Amino acid sequence: MQKYKTYLAGYLFLLPWLIGFVFLCLSPIAASLYLSFTNYDLLTSPKWVGLANYRAMFTDDYRMMDSIKVTFQYVFLSVPLRLVFALVVAVVLNQGIRLLGFYRTIYYIPSLLGGSVAISVLWKQVFGKEGIFNQALAWFGIDGPNWVADPRYAIFSLVGLSVWQFGSVMIIFLAGIKQIPGELYEAATVDGAGVMRKFWRITMPLLTPVIFFNLTITLIQSFQTFTKAFIISNGTGGPINSTLLYSLYLYIKGFSFHEMGYASAMAWVLLVVVALITGIMFLSSRYWVFYSDGRE
Amino acid sequence: MLSKKTSVVAISTLAATMLLTACGSSSNDGSSSSSASKPAENSSTTSSSTTTTPTAEKVELRMSWWGSDDRHEKTQKAIELFESRNPGVTITPEYSGFDGYMDKLNTQIAAGNAPDLIQMGGNIKEYVDKNSLLDLTPYVGSVINLEDFNQGLVQSATFNDKLYGVTLGVNSTGLLYNATMFEKAGVAIPTKDWTYDDLKQAAIDISTKLGKGNYGVYDLSSESGALASYLGAYGKELYGVDGKRHFEKEDIINWFTFWSELREAGAVVPADEQVSSPATAADTSLVVKGQVAIQSASASQLAGWQALTEEKLGLLMYPKGTAGNGMVPPQSGQYIVAYEGTKHPEMVAKFIDFMVNDPEAGDILGATRGVPPAGKIRDQLSTQATPVDQVMYDFISLVADTAPPVVWTQFPLDNELIKLLQTTQEKISFNASSIDKAADEFMTEVDKLIEKAHTPQ
Repeated sequence: MQKYKTYLAGYLFLLPWLIGFVFLCLSPIAASLYLSFTNYDLLTSPKWVGLANYRAMFTDDYRMMDSIKVTFQYVFLSVPLRLVFALVVAVVLNQGIRLLGFYRTIYYIPSLLGGSVAISVLWKQVFGKEGIFNQALAWFGIDGPNWVADPRYAIFSLVGLSVWQFGSVMIIFLAGIKQIPGELYEAATVDGAGVMRKFWRITMPLLTPVIFFNLTITLIQSFQTFTKAFIISNGTGGPINSTLLYSLYLYIKGFSFHEMGYASAMAWVLLVVVALITGIMFLSSRYWVFYSDGRE
Repeated sequence: MLSKKTSVVAISTLAATMLLTACGSSSNDGSSSSSASKPAENSSTTSSSTTTTPTAEKVELRMSWWGSDDRHEKTQKAIELFESRNPGVTITPEYSGFDGYMDKLNTQIAAGNAPDLIQMGGNIKEYVDKNSLLDLTPYVGSVINLEDFNQGLVQSATFNDKLYGVTLGVNSTGLLYNATMFEKAGVAIPTKDWTYDDLKQAAIDISTKLGKGNYGVYDLSSESGALASYLGAYGKELYGVDGKRHFEKEDIINWFTFWSELREAGAVVPADEQVSSPATAADTSLVVKGQVAIQSASASQLAGWQALTEEKLGLLMYPKGTAGNGMVPPQSGQYIVAYEGTKHPEMVAKFIDFMVNDPEAGDILGATRGVPPAGKIRDQLSTQATPVDQVMYDFISLVADTAPPVVWTQFPLDNELIKLLQTTQEKISFNASSIDKAADEFMTEVDKLIEKAHTPQ
């Protein structure tokens, strides 16, 4: 009975969140599953079409392949680059430099601003034909292309923007590195291990749980990237679909072309793909993630 | 112990209530018209018993439109005038540029909280079919006066004998040119009878005479309006009354070849610059900046854009082909429509009438949405037209006099056609595809769009 009362209190405290979750998250998700089997133009009531939306996605949509290609290109470039960059900066910041707090804050700022529209607008200016980036290149005699408006390079400007927002990943790395016991390094130093050896033999293995965490989170985020592509391409995903990230295409289908049923189907395919990839990563983690408390 | 338990319950209930009310109020905010009606009843009952002021019913409306700053300013002034004449009425404006306007509106309609008054383009029928618009027929004559209107304009917003919108202005699409650049380059301003060869020559002359960074014309191959008039000029049609396309792959190849030749001659805006400085907005258009001589535009844009630049701007017809000019006759550029879910249809109708028939409102709004539809307002404005407005009036009457007598039909799923045409143009201009291959893809996709438009939902 006492136990039951404790539970009750717990659930009561949970209630506000639970209500929000059920009404604002769970039911829209369930609704989108239903809508994905319908033709729904937002204005008239949905009509059941079975699997037609899913079938059309893979057989009858000339933009879909472009969109999938661009999205994978973006994810597989930006995720490793962002993680490596964040790790390097974290290791450097951990070298006991002065004003650590200051640098940490400075490097974190892009992450705070990164998702915002303002930064995407700024990015567009910096990497335009006459932008600061090309002006800098001009000092070296290089005539830079229009990075955001050329279909060959546009995706790289998005990747660059994503890597630039390495701050939150870096903070987590830094915290992970600080958790590693100092005596391990001392012992290694006594045994004559160099900096690189200490990094590969101590830092990296003990950091794998943090790497795993960061990798998973960043991967999921990257698959859902929207704002950058929307702002930089003026909402078109152009030129020639070169910035048509999956979420942006989903938005265009749902809100510009009024095919909300189709867009819902796209959302579910994305969910399944991301779940699969995350699942594979969890399965693989037992082979490369090392928990120092002996947990395998 | 008891008090502890009670406080736990109290706190969590409070938290839950707060969350629920937060939820509730936000959804009410959305459909402010519905929540507004209740306080209005309350306040009128209390005021009638306690105060001596006349009981003006409190009505809160929302109105959305797109346009330039010039239009925003004028429309807001007109709204203020209406509010001052109708105490108790407030109209909250929701304005923006055209980018994303329709997306937002669709979402609002789907969520049941669309603005009471909505500015719309040529796609009214789409919304009528979906039962999203208020039938204005009951107010015609009693509240909305259309006697002074060209019947064609009334017909264009009438479906199944019911009126769903009122024209705000007659407009015409054509070419916007930078006269200062023509002058500098020593190229004569084209006449209404110019041809596609003349366009080519003028564009090449301007870009060579003015040098690097200056171009004769935007790459119009991505514009559906330009393509439609080109097809018309050669006796074809983008989309007919019969619901079919009336052009072949060969026409599309000719169209893109024409622009590719200009591109190779350096006379059109390069592909990447066209992407980063689109001609659709005044702040990015290179015609306004004096670097490109010609773009496509609708006539009512002229005044707003001219106000932003020292360069002298003007309006031109699309060139002629073997079958004459393919100009689309002037038509209603924008309508004002009412949301089917409005709580105050009578007041909405009153405002609609005010916008098109009130002389003072006419003075304020001028020609910001094209030539006003009501004859008396038109007469009133013509006596005091600015030179820029006069250019627009003259252009629209010229188009009316010379456009071929074709019943013009808007392509269904226009939005998707525009995106398709743009992707096709980009594939060609960035050398990612041959003209032949791009034209093949274009034809396949256009046919799919037409089929989709005809498939009942």
